[in-house]
Amino acid sequence: MKTKVYKKKDFFAGLIFIFFGIMAFWINQDYPRGTIIRMGPGYFPTILSTILIILGLFTFLRSFWLKEDLISSFAFRPLLLNIIAILGFAFLIRPLGIVLATLVMIIFSRLAGWDFSWREVLILYLFLVIFSYILFIYFLGLSLKVWPI
Amino acid sequence: MIDMLQNISIGFGVALTPLNLLYCFLGVSIGTLIGVLPGIGPVATIAMLLPFTFKLPSISALIMLAGIYYGAQYGGSTTSILVNMPGEASSVVTCLDGYAMTLQGRAGSALGIAAIGSFTAGCLTILLIAFFAPPLAELAFRFSAAEYFSLMILGLISAVILAHGSVFKAIAMIFIGLLLGLVGTDVISGIHRFTFQISELSDGIEFAPLAMGLFGFSEIIRNLEGKSKREIFVSKIKSIMPTWFDIKVSWKPIIRGSLIGSMLGILPGGGAILSSFTSYTVEKKLSKNPERFGKGAIEGVAGPESANNAGAQMSFIPLLTLGIPPNAVIALMFGAMMIHGIIPGPNVINECPQLFWGLVASMWIGNLMLVILNLPLIRIWVQLLKVPYRFLYPSILLFCCIGIYSINNSIFDIILTIVFGLLGYIFLKTGCEPAPLLLGFILGPLMEENFRRAMLYSRGNPFIFLNRPISLSMLIIAALLLLLIIIPSIRGKREKVFKE
Repeated sequence: MKTKVYKKKDFFAGLIFIFFGIMAFWINQDYPRGTIIRMGPGYFPTILSTILIILGLFTFLRSFWLKEDLISSFAFRPLLLNIIAILGFAFLIRPLGIVLATLVMIIFSRLAGWDFSWREVLILYLFLVIFSYILFIYFLGLSLKVWPI
Repeated sequence: MIDMLQNISIGFGVALTPLNLLYCFLGVSIGTLIGVLPGIGPVATIAMLLPFTFKLPSISALIMLAGIYYGAQYGGSTTSILVNMPGEASSVVTCLDGYAMTLQGRAGSALGIAAIGSFTAGCLTILLIAFFAPPLAELAFRFSAAEYFSLMILGLISAVILAHGSVFKAIAMIFIGLLLGLVGTDVISGIHRFTFQISELSDGIEFAPLAMGLFGFSEIIRNLEGKSKREIFVSKIKSIMPTWFDIKVSWKPIIRGSLIGSMLGILPGGGAILSSFTSYTVEKKLSKNPERFGKGAIEGVAGPESANNAGAQMSFIPLLTLGIPPNAVIALMFGAMMIHGIIPGPNVINECPQLFWGLVASMWIGNLMLVILNLPLIRIWVQLLKVPYRFLYPSILLFCCIGIYSINNSIFDIILTIVFGLLGYIFLKTGCEPAPLLLGFILGPLMEENFRRAMLYSRGNPFIFLNRPISLSMLIIAALLLLLIIIPSIRGKREKVFKE
């Protein structure tokens, strides 16, 4: 048992469950609980969050003597770049419209992968913009802004 | 009997309109496409397309979404057989003997038998649905709040069976899902719960961002972790027609697979994946020379491929008769129905017979389309495998963003998708399956409502769940299932089935 416990999957999973459970339990304090016959909005969440905390504790404690099942390393680069890509799209679609928002999104999300090449990005971008325009705006009639003006 | 013929004719009347035929065709084609492509499954696809179906008539939307699910079973088998790459989790077992057959130059037979098996299973399940759905809905009408509550417990416990890894983690995921399902305005008191004063959350968490984030986004990041070297080597396919000998050997496995799929599909927690694994195990056990399995035994293709299609279609029964989604895909269908203002449950058959029977009939038509159109198109589908993932994932991301934004023209929904995507990736890393969470999320509000009603009715006596025979038997089954999963010796076996 030389494995460091904090690298185990269940160690983290347990902590996440406990965190969710305590959060829910704590926020739920504000809601009237009512009686078992006439339950208030706080009754059912109390039961759920209590059980979740117990399950979390169980998972957490069990990780100490369970055989090793380690977390593989997080892929931060694709994670961050894809989040930037989506955020870029989200905040640019209103001011700039779909044509430019898509460009930003494709560049960043392609940066998240490997073998980045401007030529491929351009081809993919042109294809996707034309495809989305025809499908979503022309056929499905979504009210999306196309250009900045 | 006359009733049934009448119902079926209503169904075909609806399904055969040009518009619905078109959406059925679209659905099965998209299904085949994503079935062929690894890295995107029916859950992510349906979640992605959900926002775009808002403007369609409800029946057309459901026909298309259902087509994606069973279409994916066909597509998944194609790549399993030809390139040893299961496009779909339910086709994993098909790789074993299907690819072995390809190496022996019998790819055509394997593909043909898979299609024939799937089609046979499709026909059989439609008959079963037509026979059993109405009486089951009748039964469900007699359910009170207590029975519904116990049924949901049974459904959620059964969902745990399918989850890989720790049972306790799967149960905890259900609870997180239940809690997430409660976010929003409490119907009875009007109090906003867990909304963090965010006005967008007062109607609850939108379904599409949750599903898209948990299943779509996190999967993309996982796929980008390692550099994938996909070498596609497709041998020439000579003839798609299986020989008479193949058919003679396969017809029994096809019937058995269809029956297994029908039985497991209807169970809460069942569906395509469990069915195909079980069928393979059964065929191997029944075979006179089981050592052929894994080395190109056609029974190992015929059985599971029939079973997964039967399982996929039968899992619509609990949705349409009881209002309980048995797996993640059906949970999405549940969401789609709610969006269109249809409350899934026993009322569907009586109040919207066109919808119910139209959907059933469309499944048969869809299966026919799949056999007629896909077999000749197999070569084209396989060419699609050559589309590199680096073109695929930015497209998926873009379509998700456009789709989710277009639900409410809301940037908040896109951000919510990122939040759930991040959460989904953390769950993935810590070995927590998101499927039970999705089921919990759907059932959360329903469970609370029925729990409250049962308690009100019984004046706070929790024994109401044990005093009613139907409710009691469902709880007993749930308890037994839970025991079965927890007892280690059986858990070992369960893992063995997954590994095989």
